[in-house]
Amino acid sequence: MKPVLEVSGLKKHLGDFQLEDMSFSLPEGCITGFIGVNGAGKTTTIKLILGLLLPDAGNIKFFDKEIRNNEREFKNRIGIVLDEGYFYEELTLLEMKNVMAAAYSNWDNNKFNYNMERFGLQLNQKIGTLSKGMRMKYAIALAISHNADLLIMDEPTSGLDPQIRTELMDILLDYVKDGKSVFLSSHITSDLDKVADMLILIDNGRVVFREEKDNLLDQHGLVKGDKKELNDRTRSLFLTLHESEYGFSGLTKEKAIVRQQMKNVLLERPSIEDIMLGYIGR
Amino acid sequence: MLIPLLKKDFLLAKKYWVIMMIAAIVFPVFIQTKLILGEVFLSFFLSTLYIVFLLFSTVSMVEEKYRGAALLCTTPYTRKALVKSKYLFIISIFVGCYIFYTLTVLLSPIKIGMLDLYDIGRTFLIITAVFGIAIPVQYRFGYEKTRYIFFFFIFVTPFILPNIMKLLQNNESTVRDLISFPGPILGLLLVGAALVIGGISLNLSIQIYSKKDL
Repeated sequence: MKPVLEVSGLKKHLGDFQLEDMSFSLPEGCITGFIGVNGAGKTTTIKLILGLLLPDAGNIKFFDKEIRNNEREFKNRIGIVLDEGYFYEELTLLEMKNVMAAAYSNWDNNKFNYNMERFGLQLNQKIGTLSKGMRMKYAIALAISHNADLLIMDEPTSGLDPQIRTELMDILLDYVKDGKSVFLSSHITSDLDKVADMLILIDNGRVVFREEKDNLLDQHGLVKGDKKELNDRTRSLFLTLHESEYGFSGLTKEKAIVRQQMKNVLLERPSIEDIMLGYIGR
Repeated sequence: MLIPLLKKDFLLAKKYWVIMMIAAIVFPVFIQTKLILGEVFLSFFLSTLYIVFLLFSTVSMVEEKYRGAALLCTTPYTRKALVKSKYLFIISIFVGCYIFYTLTVLLSPIKIGMLDLYDIGRTFLIITAVFGIAIPVQYRFGYEKTRYIFFFFIFVTPFILPNIMKLLQNNESTVRDLISFPGPILGLLLVGAALVIGGISLNLSIQIYSKKDL
């Protein structure tokens, strides 16, 4: 799969926080989850990609073209959903749409109207009166109505109830059916369990790993058992280990050796959250 | 690219439309008939300055509150276009005030004086100078800090103004030479000076905003 977006050597110093040599790429036709705890640098990275923050170093390519030299083309071909919305709340949905739509050369008003109807949104409603879930749906309707090749979303599910989150995930699955790509940052990893093809974990402004989700889940195992199974040799097999008076649980990347050396333990498939905490909690 | 952004600014200030339209008609009449009898320039200048200031502040406040410009910067709108639209907004309000003033002169039963090119030039120059400073300062420091900076300047104005007046008095001959130009030519010269100031200010604002983290 060819990359839609390539980020290399991206650096940004922001007060006490530093984004260090951030490099990764997004494959075409996939949903890539961008995960990390709060303050890991997800929003900073997305703002750098979108040109809202100016990088200290590094470059970003979109379909092999430097975005710095092709800003208009890049922004014409991406759709954006930001966590805080950034909408003028005093405008109606129609007024805000008119402002946004005029910027895109390939805005599809029929598609927008279809999405508004599909999401149950009224054009004459004021943005300030929308619930968080409805506002997110509106942001998505705006972001996918100009045939964008890449949808970039910053924490879209944060603060939403499970039903709306499920609906949003269905919308994304629908969106990538046409070969389009999604880059989705979230600290709610359960959403990515359902939809992500690829995962990028960052911590303290650095990329920890970039892996296909299924490979990652296959490679790792969540081990539970009695403490008597633990000794110096078996402890070293774990990325993280939590011990209590009743037993232990830990994440391992050495499933085969664990099976060999620890006969009386339970080996389960981990969740993305288990893996994320396994790597950043070490 | 600029027209939708201009429309957006007018939409952000829509709750003041009616009040400002009334102000553009009533203020000049009131100033000329009750406060400074027959003073065409001052009545047009003060009412225009008030209207431009109020609408510009309203839009700036909304921009600061919702940070919508950041969202627009993620679309194909360039930062340059966003800055240009702010200047266009000021010019549009100025043109609007002129149209309302002229309509008032033509239609009002109360007689007020017609604007000439010299009055228009003077008003345009002062408004361009004020907002030519205010806009780059606002892009550099944000809306809140700019308010404090301008409060400070309003506070020190009574101390500085006498010195400026003294300076003008000392250079009276130069001022007299300028004023001796025929009104329309002087008016055009003032409009030209305003465009130069506006152009410098626009470039400065574009440079400041292009380097700003949003």
